[in-house]
Amino acid sequence: MKVLEFEVRSGGTIRIELEKCESCETKACVKMCNTQGMGQILELKDGVPALKYSLEEVKRGACTEDLGCELECELRGNKALVITLPLPELEEYLEGLSEKPAYLREA
Amino acid sequence: MARLLEYQGKALFNRKGIPVPEGRFVQSVDEAMNVVHELGLPVAIKAQVLSGRRGKAGGILFAEDRDSLLQAVNELLGKRIQGSPVEGLLLEEKAEVQRELYMAVTADPSTRQPVAIFSPRGGVDIEETAETEPAAIFTTPIDILRGFYYYDAMDLLRQGGDLESRQMLTLANLFTRLYQVYREYDCKLAEINPLALVVQGAMALDARVDIDDDALARQTTLDIDFAEEAGERAATLLEIAAATIDEKDHRGTVHFVQTDPDASYAKTTGKIPVGLDAVGAGTGLTIMDELVPLGYYPIDFCDSSGNPVGSKFYRITKVIMAQPHIEGYLFVSCVSSQQLDNAARGIIKAFKELYPRSGGRPNIPCVVVFRGGWDDVAVELFREHGISDGPWIKVLGRDTTEKETAEIFDALYREWKKETGDL
Repeated sequence: MKVLEFEVRSGGTIRIELEKCESCETKACVKMCNTQGMGQILELKDGVPALKYSLEEVKRGACTEDLGCELECELRGNKALVITLPLPELEEYLEGLSEKPAYLREA
Repeated sequence: MARLLEYQGKALFNRKGIPVPEGRFVQSVDEAMNVVHELGLPVAIKAQVLSGRRGKAGGILFAEDRDSLLQAVNELLGKRIQGSPVEGLLLEEKAEVQRELYMAVTADPSTRQPVAIFSPRGGVDIEETAETEPAAIFTTPIDILRGFYYYDAMDLLRQGGDLESRQMLTLANLFTRLYQVYREYDCKLAEINPLALVVQGAMALDARVDIDDDALARQTTLDIDFAEEAGERAATLLEIAAATIDEKDHRGTVHFVQTDPDASYAKTTGKIPVGLDAVGAGTGLTIMDELVPLGYYPIDFCDSSGNPVGSKFYRITKVIMAQPHIEGYLFVSCVSSQQLDNAARGIIKAFKELYPRSGGRPNIPCVVVFRGGWDDVAVELFREHGISDGPWIKVLGRDTTEKETAEIFDALYREWKKETGDL
């Protein structure tokens, strides 16, 4: 599977399944990144998203983590892009809770 | 500010040669009974909590024999002092005190330099002394480029009056060491109260050491969990988790403090606990002012500034929603220059992950208010992603006041309570 995966400044990754992008008609992530996004790190290369900068530059902060690419891809694209932003200390906190937060309880 | 427990502060004093009573930190009855073999009796048993006025709250006891030690340890371990659970005790040899004094080095924001403080009235709250007997407090500013020398300390002590020359020599030496603690460990406050005159000289009977948050990264030997200002209690796990959000990323900040971690204050005052995220601390306070009379109490205070990236909003939303006691959530921005569509994307991504089955529509009353830069985009994003259509969320724009926000939340909460009963 062709994948573009890169790390971001805050600690996390952006993973794009490029095979899904090939059939994407909107390329919404690239448009988003270059219009509303401040980083403008994505471009189209051979019909799929590619980085304009090196992995190091992107990790150093070129990606502004506005999350627009993921939400646009989900809304208008082929659901090919996933941003993972871990917060291990929160997971640790949740594991130790005796009472569940509201979002884990049925409405 | 990161405050050290007494035994941690005394360990720093020890490193710099400030005499402290022989003591051990213990966390169980067995440990205490073993330690007393080494220390001997009588001992002082001191609850290790961050809150002040510990003695008045019954947090310091004395034991003359093993039976009274057992009783004191059982009484203190697990007790709550001003809301903080006692998880450890400092057992110390009991000092024969001749006289109690006060000594501190702290930061003076008005002169932007450290200040050395001495008072012959030790053992009591220095703020109280400042009010009742201001003439009993003596201070001198410290030029950090020049340092604080023995003779500077002597000048200050001399103002204090009736000390013998031998005592002044001892105290001046100790004062310069306290300044070394202050400087070397990036303190905001290094305080000894009381500083006891004893037969052997002088010793610190208590230690209050506050470290500057901004210096924690280089104070690696202190083993302190970084968190936002938590007042006179230890940081909660959730606050520590929230503090890591800013740790690796300088692009904007999110400050998170649990004002009522277990919602006990809200519950005892008959208020409904809610989670709050505000853009602008003033807005946070204003919305609290509007919510409280309507019967709601934000059990966290969260403020973002400096135009944080969307990922920070995502993470802090998950932190706020992780509070198990909240029965509602509000995000309220001031008329901000921040790019609010970033905030919206962060909240939307968090909601979608927290509520995957409903597509991000929350199951508790939520009101989000966008006022400022890109607020129209932010409101539209919630609509596009289908979250605004949820029954328990209202997404509002720049024409909404704080008062209206609180009233809309109140109406939504009442409807939610009527429909769902509760969760």
